[in-house]
Amino acid sequence: MTRMLAMVTDGFGGRGGIARYNCDFLSALAGAGWQITVVPRYAPDPETPPCGVTQTPSHAGRPGYAVRVCFEALRARPQVVFCGHLFMAPLGLLVARLARARFVIQTHGIEAWQSPGALVRAACADAHLILSVSRYTRAQVLSWAELPPERVRVLPDTFGASFAPATASNGDNLGLDGKKVLLTVGRLDRHEAYKGHDRVIAALPDLVAGGHDVYYVVAGEGDDRLRLEALARHHAVMERVRFVGAVPKDRLVELYRRADLFVMPSTGEGFGIAFVEAMACGTPALGLGVGGAKDALGDGELGTLVAPNENLAARIAAQLNAPGLRGAPLSAAVKSRFGPGQFTQHARLLLERLVEDDVNGAVTEIERHDGR
Amino acid sequence: MCGINGIYAYHRAASAPNARELLATREHMVARGPDGCGEWWSRGRRCGLAHRRLSILDLSDRALQPMVAGEAGHVVVFNGEIYNYPELRATLEADGVRFETSSDTEVLLQLYARHGRAMLEHLRGMYAFAIWDERRRGLFLARDPYGIKPLYTADDGWSFRFASQVKALVAGQAVSSEPEPAAIVGFYLFGHVPEPFTLYRQIRALPAGHWQWVDEAGPGEPQPFARLSEVLAHGALSPQSPEALPTALRMAARASVGAHLLADVEVGLFLSSGIDSGALLGLMRDAGQDRIRAVTLEFGEFAGSAEDEAPLAREVARHYGAQHIVRRVGAEEFREDLPRIFAAMDQPSIDGINTWFVAKAAREAGLKVALSGLGGDELLAGYPSFSDLPHWRRRFGAVAQIPFLGCALRVLGSRVFPARARSQPKALAMLEYASSLPGAYLLRRGLFMPHELPALVGEEMTRAGLRRLRPLQRLAGQLDPDPLTMTGRICVLESSNYMRNQLLRDADWAGMAHSLEIRVPLVDWQLVRALAPHMAHLTAQSGKQALARAPMNGLPEAARLRPKSGFGVPSAAWMMAGDGVSAAMNKGLVSRQWSRHVLRQAL
Repeated sequence: MTRMLAMVTDGFGGRGGIARYNCDFLSALAGAGWQITVVPRYAPDPETPPCGVTQTPSHAGRPGYAVRVCFEALRARPQVVFCGHLFMAPLGLLVARLARARFVIQTHGIEAWQSPGALVRAACADAHLILSVSRYTRAQVLSWAELPPERVRVLPDTFGASFAPATASNGDNLGLDGKKVLLTVGRLDRHEAYKGHDRVIAALPDLVAGGHDVYYVVAGEGDDRLRLEALARHHAVMERVRFVGAVPKDRLVELYRRADLFVMPSTGEGFGIAFVEAMACGTPALGLGVGGAKDALGDGELGTLVAPNENLAARIAAQLNAPGLRGAPLSAAVKSRFGPGQFTQHARLLLERLVEDDVNGAVTEIERHDGR
Repeated sequence: MCGINGIYAYHRAASAPNARELLATREHMVARGPDGCGEWWSRGRRCGLAHRRLSILDLSDRALQPMVAGEAGHVVVFNGEIYNYPELRATLEADGVRFETSSDTEVLLQLYARHGRAMLEHLRGMYAFAIWDERRRGLFLARDPYGIKPLYTADDGWSFRFASQVKALVAGQAVSSEPEPAAIVGFYLFGHVPEPFTLYRQIRALPAGHWQWVDEAGPGEPQPFARLSEVLAHGALSPQSPEALPTALRMAARASVGAHLLADVEVGLFLSSGIDSGALLGLMRDAGQDRIRAVTLEFGEFAGSAEDEAPLAREVARHYGAQHIVRRVGAEEFREDLPRIFAAMDQPSIDGINTWFVAKAAREAGLKVALSGLGGDELLAGYPSFSDLPHWRRRFGAVAQIPFLGCALRVLGSRVFPARARSQPKALAMLEYASSLPGAYLLRRGLFMPHELPALVGEEMTRAGLRRLRPLQRLAGQLDPDPLTMTGRICVLESSNYMRNQLLRDADWAGMAHSLEIRVPLVDWQLVRALAPHMAHLTAQSGKQALARAPMNGLPEAARLRPKSGFGVPSAAWMMAGDGVSAAMNKGLVSRQWSRHVLRQAL
């Protein structure tokens, strides 16, 4: 039985993509018999962790959080310290040293795309394993982190079982019967503004002029909405853009299923879980060949990759005219790469190797196989 | 010499490897193996291996690669030669193993099936190979202890790729060509790209004397199985008397040359006027080779000077009854070949022109294999570094230990004597680096000094490159464990840097471009093991003279007593004609200028 201390920003009961990833990751290990103590910064919603996971109360303040993780490290005597966010890496290293444990850091996306400060770099250099959600994020980590590349591994996001093609007729047509629906799901953050809503809105006039009776549904809330509404008015397509705000998970699945094309020409995806969720629901997806989106779209084998300088309207039109892989076959293809089963197996494989290497010192994979 | 490559999509999320990419990488290496080619795919096509063959042992098609053999169904792609394979084969046959070919490749597979990674302890030779382990669904890669044969890998987090050349991996078009700051900085510091870095961030060399295992969890960290410092440290614990050196060297050098003649094609020789290649010629005769063709380069610019190798080489060839081929090379041919030279140069190097032309001449003569005296100076303390480094440390080491003094004096000196700082940049850095052996080595071999880098590549690139490269720490790491003798330490530094990253790499790309296998009997693990107990009293004089007398019929006196010179090319005049180079400039300054040209071509 392996003991882990997980330092995470968002734990069980947290919100957003990082919380989901942490829960998927920790649940995968707990399912293999690991005993995990989770110390979250934030966990606003009630959620019961799975068997094998104990979560402490959240500590938003930094000093209180630091004291708590040091206390838990001494109490739980973990063999592995998992640091769920790059900015906590120096504290994570300190805790790992204190507990004489293997040190694992998780990187998600843009937080790891630029070289961090010297303290974080130094902590990363001493990590036994850095997990990245995509090849792109891994490459960016390796551009500034001074550690062997073999210690930086990719563990992509996964999706829940409810993300699957419809088995009966759709419940939510958004009043758009007979229309072609484009969908983007993502936060409308004025500071980030990289999801590519602007590009889709700007492409709508050409699509309409090309004879496509197309509507654009924007799911997600944030302070960029007013700007995007103004942009839609500027392009005279306001009646074709529907801002539906934040949507609960069950309605999100319905939206994915209803859409004819999930489109997110984003330039800043660490991975792009929404692409995968959409395709798992059987809906074709289109994104830019930039950052982690290439992974989520399977190098163009699952979804459509568009170059940043390509005519987006033309590529959307082509996709609407000939959608290619969709429905159950697309969902199965996505599941075979990014499904929960794959995620669980790979997470366990990477972490168990790490612990076995620790137990056996320099003994590595092949020697273990050889029985030496 | 052959070319090997492969792709393994180890991650569950990875797309299946692309056959076009596998073949594009392989075909970029066509000159490495013009005699045959092959490809192989695993069940489920998650792993593909490919091979380009230069047939030297077992010329039949049965020895084509990728080779599948044995009950286990393992598959190998292999570049190099296993010189002791007849003995290994006999042992395996005595154990009941049946062979289908007479190649050394099959021996590798059978050894792996029997011993796993411990097979490496049995091998004598130069090699880089990958074995697909069908049972464990993983790849086992290994590279010889000295790093004579190249092996480059690229891992993007989903798929693992390898090839014999950096440029071949790039030709597959799936590997990022983002530049590696450590490589650029390292090239300006040393005149070559220090291993394991390559010009591209995603591509790394599998370090010499290491193996690596790749399975569904991804590539493990490369693991060492042979360290030169360890061999020398071990030898130093049982030191031998100076009188024992000639006999030990004679026995070990004869055995090495004999082993290196193993081939089903003719083996020739690169012959200069130096002791190393001359002694190899004598030892080839001792090993029983009747017909020996020896190739020497001749340059009009050197006629009548001490740098002219041809007259003395002619005398040595006559002495041993070899057929001597003297190939004249001129500025016009150099200029004609230069685009091809840069195209073939796998990693930027400030050297290699000489090897290009002598390999070209050997191939023109119809040779497929040639021995080279490369490595004699590293093994037998032949370089000035063996005397300079201890001398500098004695003279300046104590003062250089004072913190910041060296740096302050260098800055002051460059302000007070700016002309001298430009013409002799290393002189002012003496007190900054002479405090340690790695520092003194950097001073000796350095092309540019670290403080000169910002002017060449900018502040940011310098900072990032030095942070990743850590040149002094890297050199110090090579001396762990301590070889215990000063000669041993310098032998390790020269062998692990200048020889491995420059001379051997140059021999690979320049030989490969002409489909010529260059063998180096003085770069041999058994030979260095035999000499390790003699390192304490080895000097340039004692070592080289013992080598000159190693053949039964020793080298002629003129060759034994000739002062040391490099394997030179009048490159300064050719390379930089009309590029601001004057006759008054010393070789070091010309090399500095040439290096900028080389890197521009490489990028």
